[in-house]
Amino acid sequence: MIYSVLVLLISVPAFYYKIKSIVAEDVDEDLMAQKAGMVAKIEKVFAKNPFEFLEAFEPDFYIRPATFMQKDTFYNIMEYDSLSKENVPHRVLESSVVLNGQPYLIKIKSSLLDNDSIITSIVLVQTILTMLIMAGLLFITRYHSKKLWRPFYATLGRLHEYKIESEKSIQLEKTDIDEFSDLNQTINSLTNRNHQVYLSQKEFTENASHEMQTPLAVFQSKVELLMQTSPVTDEQAELITGLSQAGQRMNRLNKALLLLAKIDNNQFTETEQVNIENTVQKLAGQYKNALSQKNISLHTRVIADASIEANQTLMEILIGNLLSNAIRHNVPAGRINILIDKSRFTISNTGRSTPLDISRLFQRFQKQSADPNSLGLGLKMAKRICNLYNADINYSFAECLHSFSVSFNNS
Amino acid sequence: MKLLIVEDEKELSKSIVAYLKQENYLCEIAPDFKTALDKTESFDYDCVLLDITLPDGNGLNVLKELKANNKTDGVIIISAKNSTDDRIIGLNLGADDYLAKPFHLSELSARIAAVIRRRRFDGNKILVLNELTIDTLAKTISVNNKSIDLTRKEYDLLLYLVTNKNRVISKNAIAEHLSGDEADVFDNFDFIYVHMKNLKKKLVQAGCTDYIKSVYGMGYKFDI
Repeated sequence: MIYSVLVLLISVPAFYYKIKSIVAEDVDEDLMAQKAGMVAKIEKVFAKNPFEFLEAFEPDFYIRPATFMQKDTFYNIMEYDSLSKENVPHRVLESSVVLNGQPYLIKIKSSLLDNDSIITSIVLVQTILTMLIMAGLLFITRYHSKKLWRPFYATLGRLHEYKIESEKSIQLEKTDIDEFSDLNQTINSLTNRNHQVYLSQKEFTENASHEMQTPLAVFQSKVELLMQTSPVTDEQAELITGLSQAGQRMNRLNKALLLLAKIDNNQFTETEQVNIENTVQKLAGQYKNALSQKNISLHTRVIADASIEANQTLMEILIGNLLSNAIRHNVPAGRINILIDKSRFTISNTGRSTPLDISRLFQRFQKQSADPNSLGLGLKMAKRICNLYNADINYSFAECLHSFSVSFNNS
Repeated sequence: MKLLIVEDEKELSKSIVAYLKQENYLCEIAPDFKTALDKTESFDYDCVLLDITLPDGNGLNVLKELKANNKTDGVIIISAKNSTDDRIIGLNLGADDYLAKPFHLSELSARIAAVIRRRRFDGNKILVLNELTIDTLAKTISVNNKSIDLTRKEYDLLLYLVTNKNRVISKNAIAEHLSGDEADVFDNFDFIYVHMKNLKKKLVQAGCTDYIKSVYGMGYKFDI
């Protein structure tokens, strides 16, 4: 606004002086020309007829006797102008006058050249003025707009970065603008509330699992005492064993759920360089009885040494889960192949002759076999651990071998 | 043998007492931190079963008190938490063993026996049951003073049965005692049958009465 006023204020005198100078130039040119012309004319018109005399001094004027009365008519023609020495547009007035009872035709012409240049100048100045105003306004508006909306964009940026699981609350800029200040306050309380809900949900799963362990312990102890009672009929014995098995499964499920909750709660933050081959050998040793019971042959091939920066316990759980699955879902006298490469490893096993259903494979509680010991959580846990370390886990079935492959994306 | 059971869950401590009664243990119960401190200060126990999560305090502080007073009571921590860190902290503070809930009572019994054996400096490392002699220090078995050759697993199995003698031990409990975490990888309990069969054969061949009885549908019992 101020800018526009300023520009206009400046333009008015600028305009004025420019026009004045053009006009002045004109006048001066004119006077010079007249002087030159005068001399020439005087030489020319000695003893000529009165009309020629007139025309010599008024080249724009033409008068001849006529036989009729011409109405006032205006038109344009191109004619040679002696001053600028070229053909220029002229405006002509053709008319009639009566002098001493005799009609005369008169033509008066006026050069449009200077008018043109004045018009051109005016247009030019106007154009420059307009462009200056527009450009200026554009910049000023942009600048103000940026300044005005900066807190908004800052808040937007912070929102993009905000993660609900992060411990820090969202940091928003202080601003004088009421509306944005209001917005920031609202966002702050919203994110704080969400964070609290998130925390209590995290705690809930872990707490629920913990709480479960005591009644499970009581249950198991009572079943065990029941076993000691005497006499026990065969029927009772079977029921008691059924209870005991169910209790065992509940225990395992609960432990697994607790572990999943802990992984989700980022409670395994310590990391070290974990050697995959060493971990595989350790777990193979732990499972050697199960391997020999089913007569499964285990073959390990190391293409390149693989060491991953991760939590040792979690890696053992990951490999252990895959390995125990490979044992559990294997056939008697079956085979397990383990392939270790620089940043990946693959565990393959013989087993059922049809491939597993990939879409349901990594969901919690999906069981792929009738084996009552198989908890659907095993693969879900493996996947969760892989997610934690930015690794991919894939299943494939080829040549009667079920393969689970884990590849780490950053070395 | 005097035992102190520090556990706030009443039903659980009742179960433990009921199970251990047979083994001639005198059991006392402390359901909270304060009672536990009082009792350990006033008496000496052969073994203390310590639950960490008590309503009015951290059970580990009882352990610290015991150690500070240079007491020789054995301590087994029983805890629902079962985190590796807890285990390490407990053992570093001087606990003899750490057992995670939920546990088999037969397993608890075996651990208590082991702790007491370790802590007593006056012999009692040799268990004699009729013609059967078990040297827990050398980990050898002899029948009628003639030693017999048992595999590690067979020895563990026999010791487990003997420390829980005259009580039915479930197949689950045996499986977990022998193979720990590997237990859930097995399809069935065939491997137990195999070990049990081999053990019985070796004992009988050496002239020992066959005390190991199979209890229909539930498990085994060392009947003596």
